[in-house]
Amino acid sequence: MPMIKLQSSDGEVFQVDFEIAKASVTIKTMVEDLGLEEEDEEIVPLPNVNAGILKKVIQWATYHKDDPPPAEDDEGREKRTDDISSWDADFLKVDQGTLFELILAANYLDIKGLLDVTCKTVANMIKGKTPEEIRKTFNIKNDFTAAEEDQVRKENEWCEENLRFISWSFIDMKVNIVSNINHYFKKFKKLWYHRINLSH
Amino acid sequence: MAMETLTRDVPSSMQHHNNSSISNMKHSYVQLSKTCLDEDAQINKKLPKELLLRIFSYLDVVSLCRCAQVSRAWNVLALDGSNWQKIDLFEFQTDVEGPVIENISRRCGGFLRQISLRGCQSVGDGSLKTLAQCCNYIEYINLNGCKRITDSTSQSLSQYCKKLLSLDIGSCSMVTDLSLKAISDGCPNLTSVNISWCDGITENGKFFTFVFFLFYIFYNFEGVEALAHGCPKLKSFISKGCTRMTTRAISCLAQHCTQLEVINLHGCNNIEDEAVIKLANNCNSLKYLCLANCSLLTDSCLVSLAEQCYQLNTLEVAGCSQFTDIGFLALSKTCHLMEKMDLEECVFITDSTLFHLAMGCPRLENLSLSHCELITDEGIRHLSTSTCASEHLAVLELDNCPLITDASLEHLINCHNLQRIMLYDCQLITRNGIKRLRTHSPNINVHAYFAPVTPPPSTGNSRQHYCRCCAIL
Repeated sequence: MPMIKLQSSDGEVFQVDFEIAKASVTIKTMVEDLGLEEEDEEIVPLPNVNAGILKKVIQWATYHKDDPPPAEDDEGREKRTDDISSWDADFLKVDQGTLFELILAANYLDIKGLLDVTCKTVANMIKGKTPEEIRKTFNIKNDFTAAEEDQVRKENEWCEENLRFISWSFIDMKVNIVSNINHYFKKFKKLWYHRINLSH
Repeated sequence: MAMETLTRDVPSSMQHHNNSSISNMKHSYVQLSKTCLDEDAQINKKLPKELLLRIFSYLDVVSLCRCAQVSRAWNVLALDGSNWQKIDLFEFQTDVEGPVIENISRRCGGFLRQISLRGCQSVGDGSLKTLAQCCNYIEYINLNGCKRITDSTSQSLSQYCKKLLSLDIGSCSMVTDLSLKAISDGCPNLTSVNISWCDGITENGKFFTFVFFLFYIFYNFEGVEALAHGCPKLKSFISKGCTRMTTRAISCLAQHCTQLEVINLHGCNNIEDEAVIKLANNCNSLKYLCLANCSLLTDSCLVSLAEQCYQLNTLEVAGCSQFTDIGFLALSKTCHLMEKMDLEECVFITDSTLFHLAMGCPRLENLSLSHCELITDEGIRHLSTSTCASEHLAVLELDNCPLITDASLEHLINCHNLQRIMLYDCQLITRNGIKRLRTHSPNINVHAYFAPVTPPPSTGNSRQHYCRCCAIL
C-alpha cells in the first residue's frame, strides 16, 4: 500500500497511507503536481500544522476513510448542525484552542468533512445562548458603549418574542369556504372520525 | 489545607515530582491568565474572518441576532450579508414589523436571494419597497398571507428585482391584476407564481362595491394574460380558489407559457374544457395538474391530456363529477408515469376505470376513490392484482364507497407497500375484515369508523348519575 510522509511544522514526520492522506485536497494536489512516486523518500512539509493537530487530523481521516466524497453543492445545503456523528462529537471534545486549530488545519489542508463538522461544533456552542453567555463561552470582551449596546439590542430584539399563536393550517380553508364548503365538510368529517378512532 | 490533603494522598514516590509540576502549573496558569487578559477571545484571534463567517453560516436567525449583540467585531460579522442570503421569517410572523424588514434589507443588500415573509401580516408596501430597492438580486420571495400589501409592492418588485424567479402572493386579498401586469413587465424570468385566494374579498367579509367588483372581473383575465405575455418561462402556476379565473385567461397562459409543469386550478370553477385542452396541446411537459372542483370539465379534457401530456404524474380532479370511464381509459393508455390520482367524487367512474388504471399506471402510489359510489370489489380485485398495487400503492382512499365489502380487503392483502387505507362510511366493511387485513399486514394504518355500540342500560352504576358530593353524602 503506498505510503506518504507528512512533516508537521515542528518537524515531526508522520507516515500515512496515501488513500487516507488524500482526504486533504491540498496534499492530494501537491502530490499530483509534484509527481511523487510511491517509493520516493520525499517528505511533504506542512508548515501550518503542528504535530499535535496533525496527529488528530490523521486520526479523523483514518476513521472517515471510507466516507463517500463530500457534496460540492455548498449553496443548497441546509443549516443543520444536529447531524454530527457520535464518534465525531467525542473526537471533538477538546479545548477551544485545539478546536480552532483543527478548523484552521482543516481549512489549510482543504478537508471539507472535517471543516464542516468542526464549524458545526462551534456553531452549536453559540446556538441557544444569550449574548452575555456567548461572551462568557468565548471570553469575548463587550466593547460596545452603553448607548451602542442599547441600540443594537433594539435592532435585534424582534426575533426574541415568542408569542406565536397563529395556527396557519386554516389559511387554505377559510377564504373560499363558501364555494368549497362541501369539500371541506368532508375533509373535516374525515379528521373528526380519525379523532374518534384514536380515542377508542 | 487542600494542598496538604492532596500531597498526603499522593504516593511518596511521586511527591518529589509533584512539587515541580505544581510550579509548572503555576507558571502556565500565569501565562494563561495573561493571555486571557491581554488578548481576549482565542476565537477572534485564531480564526480569520472567512472562517468565522463559515461558522456563522450554520446559525439560524435568532442566533445571528444574538451574535450581533456580542461585540463590535461580531456585530459586523453577524450582520454580514453573506449570512443573510436566505431568510425565512415565518416563525416570527407576529413580531415582524416594517422596521425589521427595512433593517434586514440594509443588512442583506445584494446578497439576499431568498426571502419568505409568509404570514407576516404587519408588513406593508413601504417596507417592501425598501426591500426591493436594497436587494436587487432576490430570486425567490414569498409574501403569502401578507394581507396589507397592495399592487404597489408588486410594482416595486417589478421595478427593482428583475431577477425574480418565484413569487408567492397567495392570500394577499388586496392584490389585483395590476400586480400581475406589473410583474409581467419587470420580471421576464419568472418561473413560478402563486396567486391562490387572491379573490377580491377581504378577510373581514367586506365586499368590494359592485362596481369595483365588475371592474375586478374585467381585470382578472387581463392580469393573467399580461403574465402569460411577459413571463414565457413560467413553469409553475398556482391559483387555487380564484373563482373568477376564466377559460380565456388559462387558454392565453397555455399559448404563451409552453414550459408549464405545475398547474393548480383548484376551485377555479368557471373554467371550461377549452382551457384544459389548450393546456394539453401546448404544455406537453405538464407533470402536476390539479383541477379539483372545476365542475364544468368533461371527459374531452382528459382525452386531450392523454393525447399530449405523457409526463403527467399527479392528477387531482376531486369533484369533477362529469368525468367518466372514457376519460380515464384514455389517460391510462398513455400516461404511464402517473403516481398520484385524486378521483374523489368522480361519481360516474366504475370498476372499468380501476381495471385500466391497474393496467396502464404501474407507478401509482396514491389513489383516492372517496365517494366513487359505483366502485365494487371487482374493481379493487383488478387493482390489487396489478404491478402498481403489489409494488407501489401506498395510500388508498375508499371512504364512502358503499359497495365495497370485506372481499376487497382480502384482495388488498397482495399490496405489500400499502401504508394507509381509508374506509369511513363503507357500511359493508366489518371489524373482522379489518382484523384479517391487519393480521396479514400489521403495518397498515386503517382509518375506519364504527359507531360505538350503544351501552346496555346500566343497573349497578346508577350512582354515577349523582355528582361526587351527593355520593359521599
